[in-house]
Amino acid sequence: MKQKEIIAVFDNDEDLVSAIRKLLENKIRIRDAYTPFPVHDVLRLLGRETRLPYFAVIAGAVNIIAALGFLYWVAVIDYPLNFGGKPAFTLPAFVVITYLLTILLTFLITSLLFQVRTGLYPGKEPEEVMEGSTDDKFILALGSNIDMNEKDRSMADSILRECGATDIIERERDNEKK
Amino acid sequence: MYRTAVRPALVAGEKDYRQVTRDITGPAERRPARWWYIAMGFATMALVFGLWAIFMTIYKGLGTWGLNNSIGWGWDIINFVWWIGIGHAGTAFSIFLIVFRAKWASSINRAAEAMTIFAVLNAALFPALHLGRIWLVFFIAPYPNTRGPLWVNFNSPLLWDFLAITTYLLLSLTLWYFGMIPDLATMRDRATSKVRKAVYGFFSMGWVGSVRNWIRYEALAKILGGLAAPLVVSVHTIVALDFAVSVIPGWHTTILPPYFFVGAIFSGFAMVLTIMILIRKAYSLTDFITEAHLDSICRVLIFGSMVIGLAYMTEIFIAWYSGSEYEFFTFFKSRVTGKYTSAFWIMVVCNAIIPQLLWSQKIRRSLKAMFIISVIINLGMWYERFVIIISSLAQDYLPSSWVSYSPTAVDIGIYIGTFGIFATGMLLFIRYIPIIAISEVKSLARKGKCATKTAAE
Repeated sequence: MKQKEIIAVFDNDEDLVSAIRKLLENKIRIRDAYTPFPVHDVLRLLGRETRLPYFAVIAGAVNIIAALGFLYWVAVIDYPLNFGGKPAFTLPAFVVITYLLTILLTFLITSLLFQVRTGLYPGKEPEEVMEGSTDDKFILALGSNIDMNEKDRSMADSILRECGATDIIERERDNEKK
Repeated sequence: MYRTAVRPALVAGEKDYRQVTRDITGPAERRPARWWYIAMGFATMALVFGLWAIFMTIYKGLGTWGLNNSIGWGWDIINFVWWIGIGHAGTAFSIFLIVFRAKWASSINRAAEAMTIFAVLNAALFPALHLGRIWLVFFIAPYPNTRGPLWVNFNSPLLWDFLAITTYLLLSLTLWYFGMIPDLATMRDRATSKVRKAVYGFFSMGWVGSVRNWIRYEALAKILGGLAAPLVVSVHTIVALDFAVSVIPGWHTTILPPYFFVGAIFSGFAMVLTIMILIRKAYSLTDFITEAHLDSICRVLIFGSMVIGLAYMTEIFIAWYSGSEYEFFTFFKSRVTGKYTSAFWIMVVCNAIIPQLLWSQKIRRSLKAMFIISVIINLGMWYERFVIIISSLAQDYLPSSWVSYSPTAVDIGIYIGTFGIFATGMLLFIRYIPIIAISEVKSLARKGKCATKTAAE
């Protein structure tokens, strides 16, 4: 299904932020924003959240248990060695391995999760390159699943102009291909 | 912290975003200058020498090294500890940036991390070669094997070391690579040739800089930085435990872990200073790596130097105070005076005394002086490892087993070879990858503008 959408180009992040504020006040849906560096106001205003840190904490907790469990299994169950009568389960000596394995596994899992959640992987073709968004342009994409009506469109247009958009493009977006 | 009128701006020259992009991507887009080819030639020569030495080691065995029955750890372990120490700076910078939010680290971070990766790779080479039969190196990995399965000794610091370095290398690589993705996308979008577009496109993971991208990206950076922070402390601590857990006089001390850790940060920062001065000069990136940046590194060096000096004095004091005659002998009859006195005093002068010159602002402004001091520090840090390893092993409990040690051409060859790996790696890095994190610096350039505005008001 093809949809119309509006692409607005800004020269700096302050204009972009003020435009987003006004559009949100007027309840116009914003699809996404493309910036050359993370602009925290934009991230906050668009209300996107990530659960990545929670996943990381859970992964870390699981990994501590897994690492200690593995060491216990090796030293006590699978192949207990007699070191001059010392106990097989030497917890202080296992702290280092547990700590390192926790870090190793947690960062591997988290960076994989990041790739899964963002859908990024080496060799992926970028879904849509907004020209200049990796250089010096701050780009706002309006419109969502429901087609914007005329009133909204003209209002969005005036807000964008007012906030200093250097370029406003109306185009058709193929929504099927994602 | 930096948004004050007192501190100079982090990005000089009132640049707009486009100019920041152009300035930083420039070196990776232009054809390299003649010095690059010359440097690459020398680096390749060093690399070839190293390959010869490695070939001899593997083909003929460890007999080609200068080791003997008393001195089982020689240049190999000295260089291992030296390289891994240098490798600490990159991650330390990432921690400064991500965890402590010291924004000045952002323009140095990328190069420092590249340095870390090549230094840690070099370090990892030495213990593997020291095995003698490098093809059995996989025995150290704990995997279900047909020998029992006999597991590795999880109580041994040498195994901890293996795991620590593997983790450190992988985490540094991840931190470096993920930190690069937005900049690789910039390179992809700027690329004019098909090959460049394809290669940068492949590695930039389809990055578009959308909100969805950024919010998870920032979360990931914080998580990775947070995970790397304890590693910076632990890697060299574990290297120190290799020594401290033994019963050799001069090694068997509890001060070793913190002392090694500070030494690592110290030598790493010195190497960062050396390299940043060179890169800044070669590519005239003076607006991004300002005098204030170099000044900040120098301040860290002064701090490191004082802690190192304190550690030297503490060691000597404890050698006397402990009442252990073997300790006393090693420190007073073998290091401060005796057979290894010259190495010991080179170490003290290079690490604890000469860096104190950096207290003077005049010296912190002179590129030449800073460059020389940074090289001297790394020389001193090499001598520190030499003193610790060789003087303790050469003259321990039994005078009948006292020996001398001198490296062979193969020992020296491997060391020079690691310089080759390091230099070729760094040269390729500055040739193909933006040296400075562009997206980070852009957000700084923005803050700089706000700062000047508020200061004017």
